[in-house]
Amino acid sequence: MRRLLIGLAAGAVFVAATACGSSDSAGSDDDKASGGTTTIKAGVIPIIDVAPLYLGQSKGFYSKRGLKLSLTSAQGGAALVPGVVSGQFDFGFSNMTSLLVAQSKNMPVKAVVNGAASTGEEGADFAGLAVKKGSPLKSAKDVEGKKVAVNTLNNICDTSVRESVRKDGGDPSKVEFVEMPFDQMPAGLANGQVDAACVVEPALATIKSQGGTTIASLWVDVAPDLTVAMYFTSQQYAQKNPETLKKFQEATAESLKYADSHPDEVREIITTYTKIPKDLLETLTLPQWPAEPNRASIERLSELGVQDGLFDKAPDLDKLLP
Amino acid sequence: MRGTNALLGAAGLAVFLALGEAVPRLGLVKDEYFPPTSRIADALATELADEAFWTALGDTLTGWALGLTIAVTAGILAGVLISVTPYLRAATASTIEFLRPIPSVALIPLAVLLFGTDLRSVLLLVVYASFWQVLIQVMYGVRDVDPVAEETARSYGLGTWARIRHVLWPSALPYVMTGVRLAATVALILAVTAELVIGAPGLGARIAVAQTSQAVPEMYALVVVTGLLGLLINVGARTVERRALSWHQSVRGEVAV
Repeated sequence: MRRLLIGLAAGAVFVAATACGSSDSAGSDDDKASGGTTTIKAGVIPIIDVAPLYLGQSKGFYSKRGLKLSLTSAQGGAALVPGVVSGQFDFGFSNMTSLLVAQSKNMPVKAVVNGAASTGEEGADFAGLAVKKGSPLKSAKDVEGKKVAVNTLNNICDTSVRESVRKDGGDPSKVEFVEMPFDQMPAGLANGQVDAACVVEPALATIKSQGGTTIASLWVDVAPDLTVAMYFTSQQYAQKNPETLKKFQEATAESLKYADSHPDEVREIITTYTKIPKDLLETLTLPQWPAEPNRASIERLSELGVQDGLFDKAPDLDKLLP
Repeated sequence: MRGTNALLGAAGLAVFLALGEAVPRLGLVKDEYFPPTSRIADALATELADEAFWTALGDTLTGWALGLTIAVTAGILAGVLISVTPYLRAATASTIEFLRPIPSVALIPLAVLLFGTDLRSVLLLVVYASFWQVLIQVMYGVRDVDPVAEETARSYGLGTWARIRHVLWPSALPYVMTGVRLAATVALILAVTAELVIGAPGLGARIAVAQTSQAVPEMYALVVVTGLLGLLINVGARTVERRALSWHQSVRGEVAV
């Protein structure tokens, strides 16, 4: 009691908070294996890209390898990278540029298995540089001197917008980037806050349903088949649990393959963890889910990051990739 | 008098809802981004029929109640302890003034690092925000103790505990109750914010999913639920306040002169 009072007076809540934190990290290693099943805590984002994980879970690809997936939806990578590094999650889902940035800063992250890839089809990808109906902007070059919405500054969106502008013969340094969450981009375009937006599904489908179009296929401009996102873990976890890691890789690869060939089931499973309206769901362009990451495309992304000054030093892909 | 007030309140709400229906219908704002009241009500009805909604509501209320309980307990204990120990008050005054203005949401990265998307992340933010509300009010309350009453109690030989119980606590209670009422609302705001930003399970996380899913009416429906929740909590806190202070002049009212 006396200790509690002293603690409260001295630093109030922080003391209690850190005390709970240390007791938890000690406990999380113990409850890993119980009864032959290993529970895996994966942090995901409630978007269509992670559908294979949900699908693989319902198909039993994980349970037949003795894995039990415990999926937690976090809001964006902000919660995921620190969550994985600090051991709150065993695995997380992140876009490739975020992982490259983390690696270049020597954060102990390790990409383990493919997440989602571009369809590689010009004009039919799950992301694009979108403009509203009747916009005077016709191609990537036209966004010179215009406001372009990206979900996070200095990340995969502006890298790829710059590349699209460059490829179209424009000057990427003249583009003005504005940070805006994906879900607000349709409204942002419609009321003229921004002139174009780097947008992904389902916001892209919303824009299209309002008569908007894409003027550049961003991922395609970076590489023919861009690995957009991957599942990752911490180096510590990878070293400690090589068996579990291998099972997770196998099960996820099987899930990705299954998802790739069963788009109807993918659309079905998406309704269980998102609230995407039915009419919108049917018009979505799904990503591709190859089992293997495309190393060449990741190298390209890394080069572009260096060129645009996203990293102080080039990330070490051998350390990052599986 | 109270009946009139309730009636006026209801009328105000009705006008607001009617405006919500009319503004998008008249095309002043796009109904895709600001759906009319009736469509939000529709979405709300669908939500109420969904089991997952009630789980989320339960999660939010759990975070709120636990966080508020911890904050109020800690705030009262720390407040009284600091106030009655002069050297503690001197030692903590600058620390409190330093920590108090730090917005709770600025602790989100810390919360994520320590607890991931757990309930404990929510608790950290909720407790941090509401603790100060209670603490500061308790300290004001203790300062407001009538020195004559305090000295009288002393000269009658009352011990420290008896003085806290019979002099300090009744004098400070109106302040404490104000602190608790403020903390109750702040705790709800922070609980929903934590869920929204971090993704801890609850109404906030559901709002975030609706947002990313482009499900606009559902999103507003959930926002309305959090608003109603805030209203209920405020009404509840006022009721508790009235009960606890029924003896106090501020509630009892003056005898008509």
